[in-house]
Amino acid sequence: MNKRMLVALVALAGVFVALYLTLYKLGYIGTLACAVGSCEKVQTSKWATFLGLPVGMWGVGYYVAVLGMAIAGLTPALAESRALSRALLGVTAVGVLFSLWLTYLELFVIDAICQWCVISAILATILFVSSWLDLRDVTALLHETATAAAERLRDGSFGGGIRNTSEVALRAVRGEAEER
Amino acid sequence: MAKEGMGGGRGRRSGVVTSAKGRGPGRGFWLALGLIAVLGLGALGYVASKPKVTSTAIDPTLPALKAEGYLMGSPNAPLEVIEFGDFECPGCGQFATITEPDVRTNLVNTGKIRIRFMDYPLPMHRNTWDASLAAACANEQGKFWEMHDALYANQDRWNGETTNKPRPIIAEFAKGMGLDMTKYGSCMDNETQRAKVQSHLLEAERRHVTQTPTFIFGDQMVPGALPYDSFKKLVDDALAKLPAGAASGAATGDSAVKSADTAKSKAR
Repeated sequence: MNKRMLVALVALAGVFVALYLTLYKLGYIGTLACAVGSCEKVQTSKWATFLGLPVGMWGVGYYVAVLGMAIAGLTPALAESRALSRALLGVTAVGVLFSLWLTYLELFVIDAICQWCVISAILATILFVSSWLDLRDVTALLHETATAAAERLRDGSFGGGIRNTSEVALRAVRGEAEER
Repeated sequence: MAKEGMGGGRGRRSGVVTSAKGRGPGRGFWLALGLIAVLGLGALGYVASKPKVTSTAIDPTLPALKAEGYLMGSPNAPLEVIEFGDFECPGCGQFATITEPDVRTNLVNTGKIRIRFMDYPLPMHRNTWDASLAAACANEQGKFWEMHDALYANQDRWNGETTNKPRPIIAEFAKGMGLDMTKYGSCMDNETQRAKVQSHLLEAERRHVTQTPTFIFGDQMVPGALPYDSFKKLVDDALAKLPAGAASGAATGDSAVKSADTAKSKAR
C-alpha cells in the first residue's frame, strides 16, 4: 500500500467523523445536554462555529478534498505527480494546524475535551505525516526512474548520439546542475 | 513541473524501476475504501436512528425528594415534573427558551402538571454557581422564575466564555425585575443561599443525575433538552400510570414525535 492509499482511507474515515460532529451540532443526533467532560461544552462554545459554519462542516469539506486529491493521485496519469504530493502536503498542513488550534482551545480555553474532535485531530496528523512521506516517496521514485533512464542512455543502449544529453540529465537528477 | 517531465511523466517507464503507483490502486484498496464507507454510513445511520429520548426507570427504593427546589404551578396538579438544571448549560438554555414556554402555556397553566426546578451546577461551568445563588436570592423576594428566565435568555451575556465577573451583569437583571437591591446585594455578598443550592446539588447526586437538563416524570428519568412533543408524551405516559381519575387530556403528541424522528433519520 502506498502513502496515497493510506491518505485516502484515513480521509474517508475523517469524512464520517466530521459528518457525525456536524449532524450532532445541527441537532440531528441526540438531544442537547450537558455533562462533565462531554462534547456538548465544546460543541456549544462559540468556537464551534468558524466563518458562519459549524467547524465539523469545514472538517467534512477538508476530508472530502483530501480524499479526492488522494484518489486522483492514484490514477496512472497523476501517480508520479510531485505537484499533487505538494498540494496534498499543503492542504494537510493547514488541516493539522487548524486541528492543533482547536485542540489548544479545548484544553486551555473551553476546558473540556470532545473525544470525536480529538480523533479528528489524530486523523489530521496521520494525513499530514503520510502526505509528507508520500512527497518523499514520489521524489525518490522520480530520481530513481530518471537515473535509470539516463544510465541506460549513457551506456549506449540508444546509441552514442544522446550520450551528452544523458550526462546532463544524470547531473540534473543528482542535483549537480539544474535542467533547462 | 519541469523536473517531473524529466522523470516518468512522459510515460516511458523503464523496466528497471517498477512502480506500484504506475499500476493504479489494486482491488484491495477499493475493498478497504468500500469497507470504511459501509462502516461509516452504518455507524452514522445507527446513531441517527437511535431514539433521541431515552428514559430510565427510577430506582423505587430512592427516598422522596428532601430538597425543596422551586415550584411553578398548582400544588393540586396531578403530576409533578422535576427538572435538574444548570443555568450555564446551553442544553438547559435551549429547553428554557424554546420548549418551556409551550410547557407553561399548555401543561402548567392548565393545571395538568407543576414543575419543580432543582439546581445542578456542573463543575465545568465556572459562572453557574453565581447564577444559582442569584436565582436563590431572587427567590427570597418571590422572583425566582423571573430570574430563571432572565438567566437562560441571556446566557451568552454572563457565561464563562464571556466573562470572569458575572455578578454585576446578573445584578442588572435583578434591578430590571424590580428586586430590592439592598437585600439582593447582601444575599449575594454573604452567599446566604449557598446551602440551599448545595442541597439541590446533593439531591441530583443522590439520584445519579449525570447530565443537565434531566427531567423526572413520575417513575421515569429523562435527560436532554426535550422538544415539546417529547415532553408532552412523557407527561401523558406518566399521567396514564396514575391511579384512575387523576388525569385528563388526550395523547396527541405521540404520533408527531414518531414522524419527526423518522424524518430526521431519513434525512441523514
